[in-house]
Amino acid sequence: MNLEEYPITLTLKDGLHVTIRPMTASDGPALLEFFRSLPEEDRQFLREDVTQQEVVARFVANLDYDTVLPLLAINEGKIVGDATLHRTHRGWSSHVGEIRVVVARAFQRNGLGTTLAKYLVRHAISVGLDKMVGEVIDNQVGARRAFERLGFHPEAVLKGHVKDIHGMKRDLVILANDVSHIWEKMEAMVADFSPTFGG
Amino acid sequence: MSKIDIRVGGLGGQGVILCASIIGKAAAIHDNKHATLIQSFGPEARGSACSAQVMIDDHPIGYPYVKSLDVLVVMSRDAYKQFVTQLKPGGILLYEEELVTPGAMPPGVSAYAIPATRFAEQLGRRLVLNIVMVGFFAGVTGLLSEQAVEKAVLSSVPKGTEDLNLRAYRKGFEYGREQVESRRLESAANGQTQQSFAI
Repeated sequence: MNLEEYPITLTLKDGLHVTIRPMTASDGPALLEFFRSLPEEDRQFLREDVTQQEVVARFVANLDYDTVLPLLAINEGKIVGDATLHRTHRGWSSHVGEIRVVVARAFQRNGLGTTLAKYLVRHAISVGLDKMVGEVIDNQVGARRAFERLGFHPEAVLKGHVKDIHGMKRDLVILANDVSHIWEKMEAMVADFSPTFGG
Repeated sequence: MSKIDIRVGGLGGQGVILCASIIGKAAAIHDNKHATLIQSFGPEARGSACSAQVMIDDHPIGYPYVKSLDVLVVMSRDAYKQFVTQLKPGGILLYEEELVTPGAMPPGVSAYAIPATRFAEQLGRRLVLNIVMVGFFAGVTGLLSEQAVEKAVLSSVPKGTEDLNLRAYRKGFEYGREQVESRRLESAANGQTQQSFAI
């Protein structure tokens, strides 16, 4: 999917409308408001303290869609979802992208998280990535189901890897979606070998 | 449009035949013309010499083998050496600039170069080099409508790879148009007329 196709406006299962578009430098205040509105148990899954203004300011100041593509979901002028595709351009995992999704409580269980992740999966394929991964905690049933609907499956479980807000150790499940088979078909097509192809 | 003889040459694994097939499909299926395709490739899937002949005409084609070329598209040095002498005087040579170094050519040949492999790598997959070349062909020659070739690309590549292939096509097309335009301005500045196909 090309970024010029954004913004995309769509209707969720419950009839609410959202607009999805890449984050821009002017989204800082709205993004901070969104993160601060998240309940603490949802924020615990995030890697940084996103309630800090300087953290969010850094996000919007260092936008580089080739490295991190952040897609925002906007409803009535407010950010209600933030999903990011992270990739590296060198090293042994340059073919892998990581998807992270966070959605406002009022917009959970209406397909928004799945939709955001779906757009990122499509983008990841369009930029040539072979594989995508996502991380969920063992009790994040909805998030795990959303990933699985998009073709992700559990590939590793790190026992007791995270602590929740109550201090309880929980398992981290790494879900993966290998899309390299899509490109295997293309590789076969450009092999210039099949006696039946193009005939 | 009078009959146009085209040859695409390169190495197995570069997608030579798919490139030629898309040009033919664009003409015959999406641009209301007639087209034929003849393909030849070596016994190995990769690295052996490979070429395809495409003929495009407004009228039915009785004999599909090309003799003297209006357009030669080459993606390897060997293909250039083998086929350049078949170019008509005043024909068009399109070549992968990092793989081919052109030498002597028939008189009046217009040569256009594109770093297609580099563009394909920058887009995310070297695999789409041939689609960049399809776009370059369409952009430089103007023999087929942009939309017809775009449709042919989309209907020829595997599901899930359309976005990247489309970007590869557009990259080649735009680069081709820029080359033609800069050549035209250069010719105008020198008081010359730019050669073009009568369609």
